[in-house]
Amino acid sequence: MTEALLAALVFLPVLGACLLLLAPASWRAAILLVVTVPLPFCLLPLTVLIADAGLFEMALAGHPAPLGIRWRLDALSLLILWLNVSLMILVGLAASARFAPASVEGLRFWPLWLLLAAGIHALLLSADLFNLYVTLELVTLAGIGLIATGGSGAALRAAMRYLLLALMASLLYLLGVGLVYAEAGTLDLYQLGEALEPGLLSATALVLMLAGLLVKSAVFPLHAWLPAAHGNAPGPVSALLSAIVVKVSIYIIWRLWFWTAGDWQLPAPGLLLGLLGGGAILYGSALALVQKRLKMVVAYSTVAQLGYLMLIFPLSNLLAWQAAGYHLVAHGLAKAALFVAAGNILVSLGSDRLRRLAGLDQRLPMDVFTLALASVSLMGLPPSGGFVGKWLFLQAAYEQGAWGWMALIALGGLLAAAYLFRVLALTCFHPRSHGHSTRLREPPTLASLAGLLLALAAIGLGFASAPILGLLEAAWPGAMAP
Amino acid sequence: MNLAVDMLIGAGLLVLAWQTISGRSLFRGIVLFVVFGLTMALAWARMGAPDLALAEAAIGAGVTGALMLVAFRRLVRIRPDQCAQPALRRSRLAVPVAVLAGGLVGVIGLAVVAVERDPALAGLAVTEALTDSGLGNPITGVLLLYRNLDTLLEVAVLLAAFLAARTVFGEDESRPPTPARREVPLVGALLAIIVPLTILIATHLLLAGSREPGGAFQAGAVLAASGVLLVLAGRLQPATALSAGPAFGLTLGLMLFSLVGLAVMAFGDPLLALPGLWAVYLIETAMMLSIAMTLVLLFAGASGLRRSGP
Repeated sequence: MTEALLAALVFLPVLGACLLLLAPASWRAAILLVVTVPLPFCLLPLTVLIADAGLFEMALAGHPAPLGIRWRLDALSLLILWLNVSLMILVGLAASARFAPASVEGLRFWPLWLLLAAGIHALLLSADLFNLYVTLELVTLAGIGLIATGGSGAALRAAMRYLLLALMASLLYLLGVGLVYAEAGTLDLYQLGEALEPGLLSATALVLMLAGLLVKSAVFPLHAWLPAAHGNAPGPVSALLSAIVVKVSIYIIWRLWFWTAGDWQLPAPGLLLGLLGGGAILYGSALALVQKRLKMVVAYSTVAQLGYLMLIFPLSNLLAWQAAGYHLVAHGLAKAALFVAAGNILVSLGSDRLRRLAGLDQRLPMDVFTLALASVSLMGLPPSGGFVGKWLFLQAAYEQGAWGWMALIALGGLLAAAYLFRVLALTCFHPRSHGHSTRLREPPTLASLAGLLLALAAIGLGFASAPILGLLEAAWPGAMAP
Repeated sequence: MNLAVDMLIGAGLLVLAWQTISGRSLFRGIVLFVVFGLTMALAWARMGAPDLALAEAAIGAGVTGALMLVAFRRLVRIRPDQCAQPALRRSRLAVPVAVLAGGLVGVIGLAVVAVERDPALAGLAVTEALTDSGLGNPITGVLLLYRNLDTLLEVAVLLAAFLAARTVFGEDESRPPTPARREVPLVGALLAIIVPLTILIATHLLLAGSREPGGAFQAGAVLAASGVLLVLAGRLQPATALSAGPAFGLTLGLMLFSLVGLAVMAFGDPLLALPGLWAVYLIETAMMLSIAMTLVLLFAGASGLRRSGP
């Protein structure tokens, strides 16, 4: 039964994508509903199972590793699965307003959307390095196709740049996987821990895989492709890309670091990764402060916020782990809300230049409210989900007496407040002459509502911390010392 | 003697790679890339990997080359000035990237020399398990029986790649249809010989895949060649709408693979445990058709195809 539930998570979207291409236009909306609505109901019994047993493994095709591929569900993958399914549904609602399933644009958009979902689900379940590579490819290519559905010249250029860098990253990762296999003779993420000895070959392999994954997750200073890609894609696509797509490769880094190489003592490389994260926070926030377009502010904010996910490497204890996991989910919801709202504003104004946002709070109250709520979570103000994540980070740093990291985390929050308040201030600024008050298309109510729900979820996450922190504690590999 | 051949191939690869990227014109670079692919196929064959050699020749050199040439033809039409340029602009990053890549090759070489090679666990397991399966080719065994989720997802990747490419095909109606050159009598006769022959070779590659080198990917690439010929000869015309036939071809492999893999669960077997050799052949045939359809559509730069002529 559990096997069937896991299979449904991957194969419902796959079959849905095929059916969308085959079925008549009028059936497409129904197909989308049939393959998305059951997903949360698949996750419910799995959550109960993981809360009890902590872990579920299955050998695909009945062949155990090292011969075959394993799927392995634990609390961490379950948490990110929940995030992805929630995003697929809520952001999907917003997207359905823009890409009507029965239209020609809908036929371009939705099959890629479902393939992206299938790729993310397969990635989160897989326990095999090469299988992870294939799922990463699926996620990347579907993501690039979705960026290109934006259709503008800027979107196509950004998609192309992303494609070239992502392919290079894939090759680096694949080269690393090949070297790992040459040494260990197995590709199973968890068996490798025993088979792989620290040495020149395994170190080279890990560095190559890390480099590829860092490019894919746009960690500073390898983030060059992200702002253009996320800033020019259609709103719902940007939401998904920033909220989950860049994070699944960080998820793989976590797996490699804490599970495969869990017994290795790597304080210096951990510190380096943490410094990259610190650089990302400062650089991304600084550039977000000077952007002229709303979506570019949000895109650079993603560069900054991804930095927090790297702080787990130097801090490296249970609190930091819970903080990073919590931040991943909270940022996912808040960023998706921001991008959906920004997309709505862009569609109704025809531009997202910050200068033109003046007085928007009266004209698009719901979207501006979404913007404000999501900003509260991103800045880390209580009682939002973002607050819990940053508070735990501060606690983790305080416990270890890591004053430098504490200062960085606090500064990051201040900078986030600065660039988000700058946007909100411009939005609520009322000039005397209403120069731009003509030409305003109401965004579809469904899209605004979806954004609001995402923002409320990001805030509400702050009240639901106990079960999520419990899940994260269960997922903590624990074996390694700080 | 063998060493001399290997060194010749190795040196040839380096020279061809250099020539490809430093070529004086884009067209020259594309042609050299195809030659590079064929030489690479030779190298794989010398290293005792005939499956890879076949795939490299059919996909790496053949289909990729055709796709690049067709892209070049469109570039000539849109931006004639770019194609006529004597030299490609060299990026400022070229030298640092080359130095890094060279350093990487050195480190990997050192690391590989240093490691003691144990027999690979997974490789041993494959040869052990293969005797029970009725398959003779370990690669087909790995692709279709032991690690078939990889293969299934690869087919999904191919579909995603096509769909991503399709977003930029656009509703480009301005493109003149390829002229049907029915007035040339030889084209018809040539097609009448080559197309059935290609289909025969593709079928052979597919069936041989269970015992010898071959399989769905190579067969699909070869089959695509016949479709490419038909497009070039104007017998198949690109169409902008995704019609039922091509859509069915595109999704057949993924659909059938997923459905068979799921259906076995109803009989109490694990997910994706294929019930027998017949299922392997069935899925490989479907995959071959899907791969061929995807490649032909990419070559035609269109979402659909329609027949023209009698």
